Amino acid sequence: MKKIFKTGFILLGSAVLITSCSKSFLNTQPLNQAAAGPTWSDASLSESFVTDIYNVFHDGLLNQESMDCISDNCLYNFGRMDIMESNISPGSTGWVNNTYEWGEMYKRIRAANLALTNLANAPIDKAMVDRLKGECYFLRAHCYNQLLRYYGGIPIIKSAYSLDAPDLTIARNTYDECVKFIVSDLDSSKLLLTGKTLAAGRANADAAMALKARVLLYAASDLHDMPTAKTKSTLLNGYAHPEYLGYTSGDRTARWTAARDAAKAVIDLNKYGYQLNLSAPQSKDAAIASYTDVYLSRNGGEKETIFAKYYINASTDDWGAWYVRNNGMNGYHGWTSTEPTQNLVDSYEMMDGSKFDWNNATHAAAPYENRDPRFYATVFYDGAKWKPRTTDGAAIDPYGELQFGTYQTGSSASPATYFGLDTRNSNIENWNGTRTGYSIRKFSNDNPAIVDMNQKQEVPSIQIRYTEVVFNYIEALLALGDEATATTWLNKIRFRAGMPAITETGAALVDHYRNERNIEMVCEEQRFYDCRRWMIAPTTLGNKVRIMLVTGKLKAGQSAAIYRYDKTKYDYTYTVQNIESGVENRKWDDKVYFPPIRLDEMNKNSKLIQNPGY
Amino acid sequence: MEKRILTPHSGSLYPLFSSPRFLKKMLLPLVLVLCGFISQAQNKIHVSGIIKDDKGNAAPNATVTVKGTKIGVSSDANGAFGIDVPSEKSVLVVSYLGFQPQEMAVGKQTSFNVTLALATGTLSDVVVVGYGTQKKVTVTGAVAMVKGTDLVKSPAVNLSNSIAGRLPGVVAMNGSGEPGYDGSVIRIRGVNSLGNNDALIVIDGVPNRTGGLDRLNPADIESMSVLKDASAAIYGARAANGVILITTKRGKTGKPELSYSYNKGWAAPTILPKMLDANEYVTMANEIELYKLDPSKWAAAAAAYKATGKYTDPSTGAVSTAPFSPDDIKKYQDGSDPWGHPNTDWFKTVLKPWTNQSRQNLQISGGTENVKYLASLGYENQDGQYRNSATGYKQYDIRLNMDAKINKYISTSIGLTGRQENRFFPTKGAGAIFRMLMRGYPYKNAIWPNGLPAPDIENGEQPVVITTNQTGYDKDTRNYFQTNAKVEITNPWIKGLKLTLNGAFDKYIKQGKTWVTPWYVYNWSGFQADGVTPIMTKVQKGPTTQPTLNQASFDQVNTMLEGILSYDHNFGNHSIVLLAGVTKEQFHGGGFNAFRQYFASPAIDQLFAGGLTDQRANNNGYDPFEGARLNYFGRVGYNYKEKYIAEFLWRDDASSNFPANHRWGFFPGITAGWRVSEENFFKNNVTAINSLKVRGSWGQLGNDKLEKPNGTLHPYDYVATYVYGTYVAGGQVQSTLRENVPPNPTITWEVANNYDFGLEGTALNNRLSFEFDLFWNHRSSILWDKSGSNPLTVGFTAPATNVGKLDNKGYEFKVGYTANVGQVRFNVGVNGGYAKNKIVFWNETPGRPDYQLNTGHILPTDVNDPDAMLLYQYDGVFATQKDVDANKLDYTGVGGAGKLFPGSMKFKDVNGDGKIDANDRVRSNKSRIPSFQGGITLSASYKDFDLSILFQGASGAEIFFQPETGTIGNYVQRQYDKRWTLDNPSSVDPRTVDRNNQYFSNRNTYYMLNTNYIRLKNFELGYTLPANLGKKAGISRLRFYVNGLNMLTWSHTKNIFDPESTSSSGQYYPQSKIINTGVTVTF
Repeated sequence: MKKIFKTGFILLGSAVLITSCSKSFLNTQPLNQAAAGPTWSDASLSESFVTDIYNVFHDGLLNQESMDCISDNCLYNFGRMDIMESNISPGSTGWVNNTYEWGEMYKRIRAANLALTNLANAPIDKAMVDRLKGECYFLRAHCYNQLLRYYGGIPIIKSAYSLDAPDLTIARNTYDECVKFIVSDLDSSKLLLTGKTLAAGRANADAAMALKARVLLYAASDLHDMPTAKTKSTLLNGYAHPEYLGYTSGDRTARWTAARDAAKAVIDLNKYGYQLNLSAPQSKDAAIASYTDVYLSRNGGEKETIFAKYYINASTDDWGAWYVRNNGMNGYHGWTSTEPTQNLVDSYEMMDGSKFDWNNATHAAAPYENRDPRFYATVFYDGAKWKPRTTDGAAIDPYGELQFGTYQTGSSASPATYFGLDTRNSNIENWNGTRTGYSIRKFSNDNPAIVDMNQKQEVPSIQIRYTEVVFNYIEALLALGDEATATTWLNKIRFRAGMPAITETGAALVDHYRNERNIEMVCEEQRFYDCRRWMIAPTTLGNKVRIMLVTGKLKAGQSAAIYRYDKTKYDYTYTVQNIESGVENRKWDDKVYFPPIRLDEMNKNSKLIQNPGY
Repeated sequence: MEKRILTPHSGSLYPLFSSPRFLKKMLLPLVLVLCGFISQAQNKIHVSGIIKDDKGNAAPNATVTVKGTKIGVSSDANGAFGIDVPSEKSVLVVSYLGFQPQEMAVGKQTSFNVTLALATGTLSDVVVVGYGTQKKVTVTGAVAMVKGTDLVKSPAVNLSNSIAGRLPGVVAMNGSGEPGYDGSVIRIRGVNSLGNNDALIVIDGVPNRTGGLDRLNPADIESMSVLKDASAAIYGARAANGVILITTKRGKTGKPELSYSYNKGWAAPTILPKMLDANEYVTMANEIELYKLDPSKWAAAAAAYKATGKYTDPSTGAVSTAPFSPDDIKKYQDGSDPWGHPNTDWFKTVLKPWTNQSRQNLQISGGTENVKYLASLGYENQDGQYRNSATGYKQYDIRLNMDAKINKYISTSIGLTGRQENRFFPTKGAGAIFRMLMRGYPYKNAIWPNGLPAPDIENGEQPVVITTNQTGYDKDTRNYFQTNAKVEITNPWIKGLKLTLNGAFDKYIKQGKTWVTPWYVYNWSGFQADGVTPIMTKVQKGPTTQPTLNQASFDQVNTMLEGILSYDHNFGNHSIVLLAGVTKEQFHGGGFNAFRQYFASPAIDQLFAGGLTDQRANNNGYDPFEGARLNYFGRVGYNYKEKYIAEFLWRDDASSNFPANHRWGFFPGITAGWRVSEENFFKNNVTAINSLKVRGSWGQLGNDKLEKPNGTLHPYDYVATYVYGTYVAGGQVQSTLRENVPPNPTITWEVANNYDFGLEGTALNNRLSFEFDLFWNHRSSILWDKSGSNPLTVGFTAPATNVGKLDNKGYEFKVGYTANVGQVRFNVGVNGGYAKNKIVFWNETPGRPDYQLNTGHILPTDVNDPDAMLLYQYDGVFATQKDVDANKLDYTGVGGAGKLFPGSMKFKDVNGDGKIDANDRVRSNKSRIPSFQGGITLSASYKDFDLSILFQGASGAEIFFQPETGTIGNYVQRQYDKRWTLDNPSSVDPRTVDRNNQYFSNRNTYYMLNTNYIRLKNFELGYTLPANLGKKAGISRLRFYVNGLNMLTWSHTKNIFDPESTSSSGQYYPQSKIINTGVTVTF
């Protein structure tokens, strides 16, 4: 008995200790992630890795805050933009879309570099490897170009840092080197992707070519030709490192030629473009329809798309899919985030090609009549027809017509003041109302089934579209003195828009081209750069925001139970004034040509040299 | 509302406890039956006696019971008692508050003169420590303990809310009162790590059980011990943040005892923000518009607004319209137009003044020498603060603890716990709902005068509707099934040798279901021709026009196996304890969620009824995981005559969180003590002090919780992995892979070197007890990423490396005094703990001035956003244009500076460079965690009444407070009362600001609120029916009581939020005060 007990005790004790001795159970695995090693020997996992880099496009054009809010085209409804007031410094750099942010771009560049390194020896199908490398080159070039056009020359990192890299500091490359590197990546991309069909949402060889055209056009522009830039800006003239901002020497004509040829190469593909073959202006309605079809990518308009980011209802990454809610009118329960300014509205010509003029009594009395058809497809203005309102708004406005003004109801004898549903005095969510008297229509799906804030839309964010390439071609032609070809192409764009041909030459033609480019490409992330490239920022971006006040007064003897836009009943007055300085006090300072590199980044990387003026 | 609660739940306790009627219907017959049993008189012996205290005074209301039975009486005013005992073998137990219980065998004696000895609270108490218990006198570590009997005095539904103020050195902060999410954050000796600061919680010997301590039934708890220093070393790599040991109640030898308690409580928010009324709000709204003009025009424009509501600039002709006309303002003031110009208090409209909660508990315990049992059933029901609340919490729990002695050498125990936690919510979270309440415009109706819900604020957000079940529901059901078993085998040939085998199997299942249906609000557009009948339009709101369903399921299993060999023996004056053990732990879990939309009808809330289009299924939020640990641990204790005491503790710990070659760690701890008062020189010379012990400890402990700076726990940072994402290509959602963080192959645990010096003792005839501790904790090898110094061009987030260092120093004290004044016996206690940490190494961003470094400062409130603690230094306000003109500083470097206007704040030019910019921000040396937290306890008894009170307070914390105000939502009263105006140009407070878009909305010291507070945390007043009265009814004890939580609060944040708030916007579910009444009956 005693022995049994003793033995049992020892056995039991040992059993516990021994069973625990096999320690392999400690080698558990992460179950919610993929192991890095095997990823690069599996074609579809490798593809997944490369696909993720496309998330660099974020919400692009369809962001709640359009890039045009930091241009003269639009005003952001919720808070001043420091960059527009020239109130930026290395410690406070102001807002920019995250698709331009320094850290974000370098994160994606690292991913592209990692993929390129790993794909070099990946034991997978060569065609697949080539395709993925081609996409990586495109994506890397895109990231560098985003940085280059925003900051000027940036450090070029060609392979991913290892964790134990001894030196993480790196100097900026010159503007010239950056352009060369980006172009080289795009050429590689084109080479690897040529002949391959890629799914919508991925970049193909044509996208690489089109991006190259953009890069080269920018490179040829005034701002990046330092001899020219220095004559136009004392600040830039005094900067010790002009090589970061542009070319300090060299053949500018060759640059324009390269830009022209790159654009022409895309045009010569003969694969893209929608209704760019008209020989005369189309009708107003047809022009509105084509412009709308292009930005909604439908009814053939998708032929304009060279590269786009897509939104589908099954996806949860969908902020851009909420564009209508984020930017629609408060009277439709939208947030009116991006508001066109009167400055933009005034730049739309009359349909006959003449300039709009507030001093013209006819124009001033009816500013929304007989304008460039693209105005109607781009801007929501007072009295414009839109979708039926939701039930609450429909009781006040059963017609689905925008109310951006202050009107009268009752009778002309004893009128009552009525504030429009889409104003900041509205019955519906007035704090989201427009400050400029306008709201943005471009990119809004007009399908009435997509109701105010309740539903997402599946409109893609077009990152590169054919018409931009055509404009790039025109601009290079103009610089090279080929006005005839330039005018021909410019008129193709105008005819599609229902506008008559341009006949000017010389400086007037260049001005007209610039206006045309802005009208056609508004809210497509062009204006911010164009005003800088052309160095016209002081007289455009530096202008105060102008806004529209509409009032409707009942004509004598008229009465209205509820308000509806009606010229027979109402006398409308259109007053333009500067926005209150307390909202946004726009002011140009040459330092804003190039934003500052963040203070912390400067401190962490001793080799960086700051942009001028900071 | 009651209807909803009455929904039957199968397998629940519910039918039994459905209403207070239970008491009448079920309890009374039960009582009568029991009475019958008990009144079966036996051969009784009558004994009597007199009870006196240590000074020879009569001890009235002392309790005399017969051990092992429920027979008991109280002494009268002269201390006299008389009692019938069953036999000569009976043992009398005399208890008297503040004195040691005394036992006397009856034998042939029938008359007793009892003199009681004061309870010192130190001589016989036993303290639970890691893997064992120790006599309080020989404890050499810093261990704080609270008994279940104290915790049960708090009516808090969540146990973690009953701790604050009771344990010196334990900081508990309650961040929210939302049913289901109303727990406190517990910090032992403050904050010690840049990473995870959670203490290890051990319940009945099993570490880190799912569900933690929050939802334990306080009635089941015997004691809670907190190991604050090296005494935690036996828990090794999880012990650095301290260890909380919870022991549940077990059966005691004796007759079966049935105890039932019923609690009915009423909860209300402690503090709600006082918002503006309509008139005040529209005044500020007009100011917003006014201040958009150039300041030179303010005076004229203000006058024009007042007169006509419209100002025309004489120079430019530009027109500016006041948002609210003079006519509007008049109507808001006089209340003449409740439809068009109401004055709404959104908080009052949506919240009830008081809401209900109830708790019932049934406990049966008893046992023989060989088998002891305790079974406990609990039920809790907590309603939300909203009217017709969709929010609520219900809990059903059961516990069965059994101990059986198989034979002389083998004994076993088993513990089973089952718990279901049902959380109910509306389809929007509390943050969103309180955002709606804060935003709610007082000049708009929440409910129309005819009772219909008014339009939403935006996005369908109408709190009156959203807080109910009209928008669908969000249910969260958690089931816990936890078991532990123990076998103890003592070796009969080696006295004191014992083998203990423990096993635990814990299962956790969580299920979530969110069903969102369209909802409706009503638009009003004037009156019909009769002028009284309103024209209402029903408006549909919701995420889509059709319902959506999200359903999730998660399952986790934890297992533990343990073997411990121990030896405990006294050799004359030498006493030793040896213990060694091994534990193997494994964890597995995983789950999924599924989403469908396009439900044809809101009638069927099941997945199958949804459309297949755009359906989704994934692991998001329910990621699969596995983990394992292997640990060897032990203890060597020695004492000489209980005078010189020393102990060595250790654990050799391995965790799957780390790579194989960095997995094992050895964590030692040494504690030692000297009971000075046992020395003759002390005994002979010092009489005032009855006992005195000095003790000290050092331990090296670990923290293996890999909390990264972004707050997530990430156990596999040593493996190169890619995380999943999505991108749309080819019209499909594609899965993508992304490098998250490059791996760190050498990652390992944090190391804590904790030192403690303590002094404890009793004085004044043991009436006074005191305890004082000083500690110094030095944490090193803290996981911290190097992003601070890496330029962003590297493109990766640096992996956590073991580089961080943090020091934390402080003290704790506890003083108690017991006395009696006449017939009132009372006990007063004061305790407190102070801890202040300082970062010793942090990967700083280079180039920053000293006053901006983290190093040398306190750990920031949010380690992910340390720069939120960099504050511009508020320097008053530009009272007039003259002040603005006199300004010489350049403000263009502050984001949003625009133009300087009167009523804007001034900032200090800290570095004196003439520019206000990011370099003028100074790092704050306070965080949201108080540096001091303490409590004052009072307990007193008089005759059959007992009272206990806990005041609790905290200091040394601050919070950034900036509500979302302006055109987007209402202001808090304080912003209105103190603001700069044209008529009253303040040089202290700024003018009305819209949506915090001014440069002075940047974080600055003006917005930092001091959150020091003192509150009546807890009180309980009880009345116990005299034992002799109860006895006749068969009841051995019947007690009625009233208790409360957070009943009174004194703080600087009055009318804004509770000082324990962690919300910078005020948009959160406020903490609760609770008043509760209850009855406990024991048979």
